[in-house]
Amino acid sequence: MIDRKQLREIDWILIGLLLVNSLVGVALIYSSSHYLPGNLFLRQLLWVVISLAVLFLTISIDYKMLLAYSPYILGLFALVLFGLLAFGRTIAGAKSWVRLAFIGGQPSELAKIAVLLVLARVFSEFRRPYLTTGFVALSAAVVFVPFGLVALQPDLGTAVTFLPLLFACFLLAGLRRKTLILFLILTLAVGLASWNFLLKDYQKKRLTTLINPSQDPRGSGYHVLQSKIAIGSGGLLGKGYKKGSQSQLKFLPARHTDFIFSVLGEEFGFAGVLLVFFSYFLFLSRIFKTVPKSRDRPGMYIVFMAACLIAFQFLVNVMMIVGLFPIAGIPIPLLSYGGSSILTTFIAVGLVLNVKMRRFANV
Amino acid sequence: MKSSQIYQDFSPIQNRVQIVTILIEVLFLVLALYYWKVQILDYKKYWKMSEANRTREVIIRASRGVLTDRGGSVILADNQGAFNASLIRENCKNPKESYPRISRLLGLTEDELKKRIEKYVGQPLFKPIVVKDNLDFDEVARIEARKADLPELVIETEPRRFYPFQSLGAHVIGYMQEPSPEELRTVYKDRRLGDLVGKTGIEAMYDSRLVGVDGKATEVVDSLGRIMDELSRVEPNPAPKLRLTLDYDLQAKAEELLTGREGSIIVLDAKTGDVLALASFPTFDPNKFINRFTPEEWLGLLKSPDTPLINRAIQGLYSPGSIFKIVMASGGLASGVITDQTTFFCGGRAEFYGHPFDCWLEGGHGALSLFNAIRYSCNVYFYNVARRMGIEEIAASAQKFGLGAKTGIDLPGEKEGLVPTPEWKKKTRNATWYPGETISVGIGQGPLQVTPLQISAMTALVANRGIRVRPHLLRGEDSSPGQQEARVSIESGVFEKVIEGMWRSVNEQGTGQAARVDNFNVCGKTGSSQTVSSEKAEKMAPQMKQKKTHAWFTGFAPRDNPQVVVTVLVEFGGMGGATAAPLAQRIFALYQDKYDRQKTASGN
Repeated sequence: MIDRKQLREIDWILIGLLLVNSLVGVALIYSSSHYLPGNLFLRQLLWVVISLAVLFLTISIDYKMLLAYSPYILGLFALVLFGLLAFGRTIAGAKSWVRLAFIGGQPSELAKIAVLLVLARVFSEFRRPYLTTGFVALSAAVVFVPFGLVALQPDLGTAVTFLPLLFACFLLAGLRRKTLILFLILTLAVGLASWNFLLKDYQKKRLTTLINPSQDPRGSGYHVLQSKIAIGSGGLLGKGYKKGSQSQLKFLPARHTDFIFSVLGEEFGFAGVLLVFFSYFLFLSRIFKTVPKSRDRPGMYIVFMAACLIAFQFLVNVMMIVGLFPIAGIPIPLLSYGGSSILTTFIAVGLVLNVKMRRFANV
Repeated sequence: MKSSQIYQDFSPIQNRVQIVTILIEVLFLVLALYYWKVQILDYKKYWKMSEANRTREVIIRASRGVLTDRGGSVILADNQGAFNASLIRENCKNPKESYPRISRLLGLTEDELKKRIEKYVGQPLFKPIVVKDNLDFDEVARIEARKADLPELVIETEPRRFYPFQSLGAHVIGYMQEPSPEELRTVYKDRRLGDLVGKTGIEAMYDSRLVGVDGKATEVVDSLGRIMDELSRVEPNPAPKLRLTLDYDLQAKAEELLTGREGSIIVLDAKTGDVLALASFPTFDPNKFINRFTPEEWLGLLKSPDTPLINRAIQGLYSPGSIFKIVMASGGLASGVITDQTTFFCGGRAEFYGHPFDCWLEGGHGALSLFNAIRYSCNVYFYNVARRMGIEEIAASAQKFGLGAKTGIDLPGEKEGLVPTPEWKKKTRNATWYPGETISVGIGQGPLQVTPLQISAMTALVANRGIRVRPHLLRGEDSSPGQQEARVSIESGVFEKVIEGMWRSVNEQGTGQAARVDNFNVCGKTGSSQTVSSEKAEKMAPQMKQKKTHAWFTGFAPRDNPQVVVTVLVEFGGMGGATAAPLAQRIFALYQDKYDRQKTASGN
């Protein structure tokens, strides 16, 4: 299945960047949780090791094969997500957790991989210069099922991360200016509709406090404000590792998950932020540069979607924690604590490597 | 499919990827710029906010200066550690939910809690508001147990004023209360929310000297307000103790003697003006005022018909009655209208300006010299003196003795009293002075009004043969510079003659004989001042006739080298000789027992 020639084609630099960013995450998780029980940083490290193994497993199977089986994989996830809605226990306000023996995880994270594969397969058949209505409907239908099931858990933050996959496909398939405008209008309409009918009060509040976080410092604006204080008070060089008062004294919420980047900002300052921006940027741009190197159309879609998925989550998170985006509960891939998130990101990178190493293979 | 075809086919895709990549690069750049703004440009602002989060300044209250009696060993006002429950509004995440919980926890109604909080509406949110004070240990434990989910409710400790002898010396010591927000803005600018301040008595007079310098600790706290570390600590500096001039034994005795009556007893050191005892009855327990939140009790005392909050010694205004004959005798002698040889005939009544004036002894005293007129407190004799002196001379004499002016004691709220003159009557009542009024004033009646403390100071002046003392309550500090020139412009021979009369009054079966103490040579004068006009009294029931007067006694001892001045006033006490003089006797006896015996024993 995997020959020596392909093995030489593995992008070790990308794996290196992946691991560097993951280890930065582990170090930040240690700083933000060393006083909590459960050795979270060790667990994260264990997940990195497990995910690395899964990554190598992913590259060993030709992505063509994965694409072939992708509808069944998605079907399986849809079933699990449905089962969760029916029988799952509510943890932290949502029915998103699955527990098997000693290991637990959120299937909604891994479902992104399934959606990614199915979308790649759908668009592998697409050869028109611009996106057509039929493909919009088809791909939207593919995304709608897991999106709906996750949104019902309710975990809107995770559900929203399915959308960049869809939008990435649209972009790659080609959008006319007209279509782009239509999409913008549609997004606006959906936004307005959900504001009036769909969003819960706390979600609305998150949006209003985005505009003015200090209007209600003890309520929903509290999280953003504390995060901004943490980042701003870090200054140029930061307060030092494990010395951030906002983080160590727990003024910062969700320190080791959604607000891990604020811990970085506080303890390592603007210098630390720039450094991680840089290493993350290297990581992302290396994936983006892989797109044109793909041998075929589905490969391009896979790599581009993986890149967009990770970029979207990263950018939304770093905007969210300084109040440029509503608090959406979207963690930073690789940096935030969470096994399912790490595993999903590693598999996505695994798919990128998979496509890249097989770029010279004959069909 | 040929490779050339494929590349042609993929070129638009590559362009699109290129565009997205550039967009993301730009986004990274913009974000880096925004982080630069937050972390570099706004650094100071956020650093301050983070410091405000992390540190908390805690005031460590300095204890208030202790008050002792003149010996320095009996503590009259002390401090005890007490726990308060305070609310920090800034920490309150959801008042609608937590206020009902807090009110249940503290055993208050929600309305009470809200009222206590509303009082401080204009004050900064981080300042703790005391919502319940003087907690018991159960309450402290209950609040501590809920610290995690009620971060807005904190326990504070404060040294709390405590008066070990309850009402003893209450009118001298005064009491503490929380100032109103209005007073905090104007009078007590350097005080904080929930501080207690002296409202009357020594506590108010020397408030600024009794306040210590508070200490301060800077603590590191976590988001739940738990203390993690202490950055700095400045210990509080308690105020030094104040030694009062009060003598515990005399004060206790004075209050014991007044129990069940309404009135005042004042004991002065004749030479220095040290107030050895100053009692006013009815009285109150100042401990009860320290509670910030039971104004009912306070309002009750305010409205009480027997006015326990009034310090009768300095705020009660009374006609001096026959006590005023001391002023008349001195004035008469000094102005030369009489000598000690002048005699008048008393037939029980006399007529002046067409009006009859009674003596208190219906049968009359017969022919009297000055000494015996004082001794028997004959009214007719002093009617004659008054006629000879005239109102202007009488008023000038009264003023020389300090009447109609504050004595200057170091207590707030002292009244001036009133020495009437024709000008005064013209000014206030727009009426002319009738000569008959001069006759009434001659025996201390009419519009004349004095406080018991003025009478004490007057007696001290007589005892010192013309040297005025200023009554004061702070020991050791009041060697007032003005004391040397406090000589009254009356020659000392005049005083010797008045003192002879006062000595006879007590020691030769005069009206003051009930104040006599063996081997102590008490000199004094009684008074029974009318509280209602005699016509009104006629209409009253016969048993009320006896009760219609305030009973006075004022005196000093011993006759030569006087040490102590005692003044007694019993409201509606009847005759001064029957009611007030025996009380004075007990005080003189106690003083002699405590101070004079020792001196004479060591002296002989």
